[in-house]
Amino acid sequence: MCDFSFEVQAAGTIVALSTPPGRSGIGVIRISGERALDFTRSLVRDPDFSPEPNRVTLKPIFDPDTLEVVDRAVVTFFKSPHSYTGDDVVELSCHGSPPLLLNILDVLLNLGARTADPGEFTMRAVANGRLNLTQAEAVRDLIEAQTHAAVRQAARQLGGELSKRLQPIKDVLLEIIVPLESSLEFVEDDLPEDIARNIEDNLFALSARIDEMADSFRRGRLLKDGLRVALVGRPNVGKSSLFNGLLSSDRAIVTEIPGTTRDTISEVINIEGIPVLIIDTAGVRPSPDKIEQLGIERTRRAIADADLIVAVLDGSLPLINEDEEIVREASSNHCVVALNKSDLESFCSNNAQRIDDNLPLVSVSAKTGKGLDALCAEIIKPFTAGYLDESSFVITNARHYDLLRRTSEALRAAQGLIQENVSEELILANLYEALRFLGEITGETTPEDILSQIFSTFCIGK
Amino acid sequence: MRTSFDEDFDVIVIGAGHAGCEAASACARMGCQTALVTISLDTIGQMSCNPAVGGIAKGHLVREIDALGGIMGRVIDRTGIQFRLLNRSRGPAVQAPRAQADRALYRTEMRHVLEFTRNLHLRQGVVTDFVIENGQVTGIQLQDTRRLRANAVVLAAGTFLNGLIHTGRSTYTAGRAGEPASIELADSLKRLGFPVGRLKTGTPPRLDGRTIDWDVFESQPADERPVPFSFLTETIEQPQVTCHIGYTNESVHKTIRDNLQESPLYSGQIKGIGPRYCPSIEDKVVKFPEKTRHQLFLEPEGYETYEVYLNGFSTSLPFELQQELVHKIPGLDQTKIIRPGYAIEYDFIDPRELTPFLQTTRVRGLFFAGQINGTTGYEEAACQGLLAGINAALYVQGREGFTLRREESYIGVLIDDLITQGVDEPYRMFTSRAENRLNLRYDTSDARLSPYGRNLGLLADSEWERFSSRRDRISKLRTALLATRFKRSSWEHAELSRLIEKDLGDSISLASLSQYPTVNPSILFDFLPASIKSYTTFSDLETTVGDLLYHGYIRTQQQNNERIRNQAEVLIPANLNFRDISGLSHEMVERLERVRPQNFGQACRISGITPGALSTLLFFLKTSKN
Ligand SMILES: Cc1cc2nc3c(=O)[nH]c(=O)nc-3n(C[C@H](O)[C@H](O)[C@H](O)COP(=O)(O)OP(=O)(O)OC[C@H]3O[C@@H](n4cnc5c(N)ncnc54)[C@H](O)[C@@H]3O)c2cc1C
Ligand SMILES: Nc1nc2c(ncn2[C@@H]2O[C@H](COP(=O)(O)OP(=O)(O)OP(=O)(O)O)[C@@H](O)[C@H]2O)c(=O)[nH]1
Ligand SMILES: [Mg+2]
Repeated sequence: MCDFSFEVQAAGTIVALSTPPGRSGIGVIRISGERALDFTRSLVRDPDFSPEPNRVTLKPIFDPDTLEVVDRAVVTFFKSPHSYTGDDVVELSCHGSPPLLLNILDVLLNLGARTADPGEFTMRAVANGRLNLTQAEAVRDLIEAQTHAAVRQAARQLGGELSKRLQPIKDVLLEIIVPLESSLEFVEDDLPEDIARNIEDNLFALSARIDEMADSFRRGRLLKDGLRVALVGRPNVGKSSLFNGLLSSDRAIVTEIPGTTRDTISEVINIEGIPVLIIDTAGVRPSPDKIEQLGIERTRRAIADADLIVAVLDGSLPLINEDEEIVREASSNHCVVALNKSDLESFCSNNAQRIDDNLPLVSVSAKTGKGLDALCAEIIKPFTAGYLDESSFVITNARHYDLLRRTSEALRAAQGLIQENVSEELILANLYEALRFLGEITGETTPEDILSQIFSTFCIGK
Repeated sequence: MRTSFDEDFDVIVIGAGHAGCEAASACARMGCQTALVTISLDTIGQMSCNPAVGGIAKGHLVREIDALGGIMGRVIDRTGIQFRLLNRSRGPAVQAPRAQADRALYRTEMRHVLEFTRNLHLRQGVVTDFVIENGQVTGIQLQDTRRLRANAVVLAAGTFLNGLIHTGRSTYTAGRAGEPASIELADSLKRLGFPVGRLKTGTPPRLDGRTIDWDVFESQPADERPVPFSFLTETIEQPQVTCHIGYTNESVHKTIRDNLQESPLYSGQIKGIGPRYCPSIEDKVVKFPEKTRHQLFLEPEGYETYEVYLNGFSTSLPFELQQELVHKIPGLDQTKIIRPGYAIEYDFIDPRELTPFLQTTRVRGLFFAGQINGTTGYEEAACQGLLAGINAALYVQGREGFTLRREESYIGVLIDDLITQGVDEPYRMFTSRAENRLNLRYDTSDARLSPYGRNLGLLADSEWERFSSRRDRISKLRTALLATRFKRSSWEHAELSRLIEKDLGDSISLASLSQYPTVNPSILFDFLPASIKSYTTFSDLETTVGDLLYHGYIRTQQQNNERIRNQAEVLIPANLNFRDISGLSHEMVERLERVRPQNFGQACRISGITPGALSTLLFFLKTSKN
């Protein structure tokens, strides 16, 4: 139920810097708890300071020792329970100088505040009922989000989007359960004859909808976790040059000496919002050199772990058997062939004739940067085909995916039982199971909820 | 204040309603000198409302009471005048017996059973107060100055606490029609600080059967083969009567609508909350205006009376209006009302005050059972009475308390719901309240609960004998059903294939046959080889087939339960201060403190508790353990 760990500490008013540490335009200090406003009053040296909730006020901040004005900050007050955590919250937007921010935090700690533990603001929000578990999980994803697309996705979930999307599904499920349950529980009552109509069709439509949501998981995971892409090829074909080209920086060492790269190195780049981890590897060749052998071993591991392999070939030279061998090995995974050094006169795309036509092939020049965009597009293509419509909703959490799948299985089992004409209590056993799985995402449906629905739908009572 | 007592007992039970009778009987049979004190010895086991026992979920409760060694099932088996097994066409988990009772015979029989119980002492009197010393109850005070001593007291005063009856605009205090309300006792509970709420219920008018034109109504006969409530009852011997079904009509509805201001329910006169599943006819007409008719049942009150109970017509409208409405129903146009319907408001005590043993947390040795805990219904009351009685006896004997788990009984579900969630409206049992409905069949309550009853000393040797014999027969039968096969060459195979219009393969076991929805136990019974028939009964077969039917589900459910239980059984230390858990809001702390859950599972069921608070709590419990 609670698969992410929060630190548990004595209550109190907590404070933390809620923008990343380091020099930046502004730094936001968040104070949450009963004494949030108290502390702020001391900080601004104004005992009557009673800001209107949700409005910004510009206030001078004092150093209590020197009584000097250290900064002018934008103060926003969120009154309990209408704040992120549900407690009273004050946010101070100060200038983003680290010593200044540390100084203000110090003052607050001296006043009696406590440094918030990681995730503690969120934990308070969950505990105060401001966020449900789905939303809290989304917050965690949000904090870990690496790119804008993932941020947007997580933000959507934070708005209760998943719960919201599942609600109508749950409602339909309840509409199926209620008449079935009524017919069992209230046999002596005068219920409508055709009480359990269309159940089979409804169930079918329902499980299809859930499957569709579950299917979006693949894309969701892509947005959140990103891709691992390994650049693989013989020595000197230009892997490191390509790596640097993709990063737009001279991260890897490049020389004309074959066997320059010894160890794998990796960096994240952003391709259309997807975080892509690019891995440069040691060129593959038989070598007596101990260090090089170890590097090649790492290359093999990188190949095994990658979501996609870019097989780099030197297009200015005829291919040799080892090139083909590398491409063959790579093509057991998702694979793109990069024919490098297109800027050279000796470059000839016919050199790649012996490569399987079905593999995507891009001519590039690491030196001039030509063809790199096309290469990027090919890299994400197998993962985004038919998926990269950002407006549609996706599942990003493996737990949710699993629950949706199980919901759908339970619904299918119920369908099967209806076809076999078995008694309602068995069909219901499966429907309740489905409801329970959905409930683990959206919040529980209690027997009381179902009874209420029965009583408001049918006139029960002998 | 006098300190001497007139009489000494181990346990005193207050109120001889359905809860009190079970409580007193259990205590006495567990060896305690038990006094059952009630306002009138003539209304022991009185059915205040509908003269019927059982139904879906309620019938299950009676079976469980019986399996534990309670008395309700035995009494109704001897006094029921119309037995029906409900949901016969559905699976056994949702079937349940129901019986119409002869109201007077039921009272007489109940009194008879109690009078012939050793250690049980009936006393007539009105209890006005408790005697409490150092937080421990030591006795009770009666209105007539008598004082009785005991180390445990079970209060089962039903609808009597501050009872207030309404018919039309007139109100008067009463415990139910014809009996006085308990005002002083209600005051004393408030003085002790018990949180008291107000609920409401109602009852329909009773008719003069001689003035009913019976031919107008559809008749509803009893089952040909009545299924008894008690495992000890062989067959139901008494003659069975017929009930009748009729309907209200638009004219009735219009009159009600036109006179709503006369109904204390709609004039604001009644403040208590009534049960949604037992709505008054006023409620039905208002809440379901599109319905052109509502079903009514005409149920005889007994063999020796022409009084008829008009089920489905509960009302608190003024008497003249009740009479006018009855006359608008075809077949009742000449019918006279003998007793008018009425609504009653009464005090109940927030059951979150109680421990799982139904003991109050405020006063040691004081137990609450029945309607005063916010439930409604004879069966709901009786099962609480039984458990409270058992626990009162265990308490005075210095033994550990007794509870039942949700997964093993409806009784466990009921008590757990009460003490963790409290009530907003009169609580009634439904099968859907049980997570494990398939495992809580009416015909397996003996297998589930009789071993407990035996351990507690509530099942006599001969009764235990019966239980063991049935258990052994069923286990033998199960093996036989799995092992016995009909080959294609046999006449049974041919006959059955024809019957269910399916090819049954080269050979099929009786067990597999029983799984076809079209092969019900009666068909199967006819095909049982003589060697099996010789030791088994039809009811054994039904139970065994049911076990086979749900086997797969129950296994998955048990795995689920296991998983849930691991978490649910994370204990909450009795001395845990919820305020120490950071991140729990005031409101959550209050809810937790009110219920004081003993484990995480109970905490989960507390009403209004947020998932966030639960994860915070679970996290705290798991981390603070090490
Ligand atoms: C008008 C009415 C309508 C009802 N309608 C329904 C319905 O529609 N459906 C349904 O399921 N249930 C209904 N009930 C409820 C049903 O009657 C009760 O649930 C059931 O009887 C409760 O059992 P009990 O043992 O808790 O209390 P009761 O059966 O009420 O018994 C209480 C006993 O306590 C005794 N007592 C009370 N105070 C004292 C005292 N101070 N000293 C000594 N003895 C005392 C009384 O004499 C009585 O014997 C109705 C009840 C009434 C009165
Ligand atoms: N003209 C031209 N030269 C290139 C291009 N890419 C790489 N080179 C040259 O090829 C040589 C090898 O480049 P690297 O990037 O080190 O090759 P590598 O595949 O990483 O080699 P190892 O690390 O030894 O396996 C260098 O001299 C580069 O300048 C290109 O696109 N055009
Ligand atoms: Mg290199």
